[in-house]
Amino acid sequence: MRHIVLFTLLFISATLASAQCINYARNVGKELLGDYIHDGNYNGAVLEEGEKAELYKTFFSGQSYRVGISKVTQLPDIHLRILDKAGNVLFNNADHDYQLVWDFKVESTQMLIVELNVLEREGDYEDVLSGCVAVLFGLEPDKKKKRK
Amino acid sequence: MRIVMTKATVYLLTIALGGFLFSSCNSSQKKQKSEEKDIVESVSVDGKLVDDFKKSKLIFYSLPSPLETAMLIKRAGATYNEDLLNPLSNIDKYSTNRQMALNLGIYSADLSYTSLFDQTQSSIKYMANAKRLADALGIMDAIDEETLRKLEENIDNRDVMLDIISETFMSSNAYLTENDRPAIAVMVLVGGWVEGLYLATRLTNGSVDNNKRLIDRIVYQKLSLYTVINLLEEYKSNEDISYILDRITELNEIFEEVEINNTSKIEAETNAETRVTTIKAESEAVISPVVFDKLMKKVAEIRTEFVS
Repeated sequence: MRHIVLFTLLFISATLASAQCINYARNVGKELLGDYIHDGNYNGAVLEEGEKAELYKTFFSGQSYRVGISKVTQLPDIHLRILDKAGNVLFNNADHDYQLVWDFKVESTQMLIVELNVLEREGDYEDVLSGCVAVLFGLEPDKKKKRK
Repeated sequence: MRIVMTKATVYLLTIALGGFLFSSCNSSQKKQKSEEKDIVESVSVDGKLVDDFKKSKLIFYSLPSPLETAMLIKRAGATYNEDLLNPLSNIDKYSTNRQMALNLGIYSADLSYTSLFDQTQSSIKYMANAKRLADALGIMDAIDEETLRKLEENIDNRDVMLDIISETFMSSNAYLTENDRPAIAVMVLVGGWVEGLYLATRLTNGSVDNNKRLIDRIVYQKLSLYTVINLLEEYKSNEDISYILDRITELNEIFEEVEINNTSKIEAETNAETRVTTIKAESEAVISPVVFDKLMKKVAEIRTEFVS
């Protein structure tokens, strides 16, 4: 009976956290994209320290993409890597102070893997932190102009 | 064990209550700190049950959104052709969840296409249709009267219009996800993707020589098709998804005849100052006129089924 109660509460907790994650991505994540236009897709989840997520996306030539990762500040850094299908690392934000906003261009259309890994805090802790992490893609607009 | 469970129960009740209170609030203008206050969780390492609950690795599949597809079509030099859009009057035909979800995606793609080509009056009408379907699917507040009003007020500012469209697409998707209706969300995405492919193929006027850049965009949708199939596979126990997967599999059989090869090693060049990484690789894509003709017909056939 206790297990049922606990798992029910875990489910409710996860569902609510997920709903909050969407609000977080909408209100905080979109701002990271600056003047790039958000493509409208939502990719977000509650991740724990040490947890990994992979996102498969086609990057089209001629289009500039801004990848913006939003995370709650209490979470440790997010290790972001961009890999090709063969697993070759094309970008590693560990080389750039774990920056969470970066622009990408491809000379020919490629399916790439966006890999996120929530780093673990250094030292011994008796708890595990988890929080919202969202990956949003921005598209470079044509030109900043108003129509007449 | 009893102590651990008691602590965990109290802790989880706190999270659940905190989460409920949080989700009850209006979130539109919240700052990051208040957003974070209720989102961060700290779970005792002793809670073995938490480990059992945790998933191993999350996998996301991100399809080109209707907005991205419309941008790709426009940048390929394609023109505007209103006759290709799903007629607004078709909306009265849609009564099942599958029809409404697919056509919410289709109208969203048409809306993106009209907006990118500055067809503002059509954009407003297609947004109104998208709202009707979103309402019928119970997607609360994704597109409200305020959205329509904002769209009308910004018809001379394309970037703002695109931002409104992007916001509505995200809201619909997010609402369906957070309300545990992922199969509907996937149908909306697939509807939008098929419409983008339909518009692109039709805008070639049936010739592989007519607009090489547009043909290139179409051929490389083979890569996105991998994403579409994976998304559908996840929910294929759903009858509607299973039906769509069968149709998309037929499309895949034709795409299998399209060859895409990287002809050089993939390399990246990063400019740390501008924070831009350019991924360099030479790639070759080949489609014969016969295969393209088959592809066009299959896309038209599937799209006709979806809008009927």
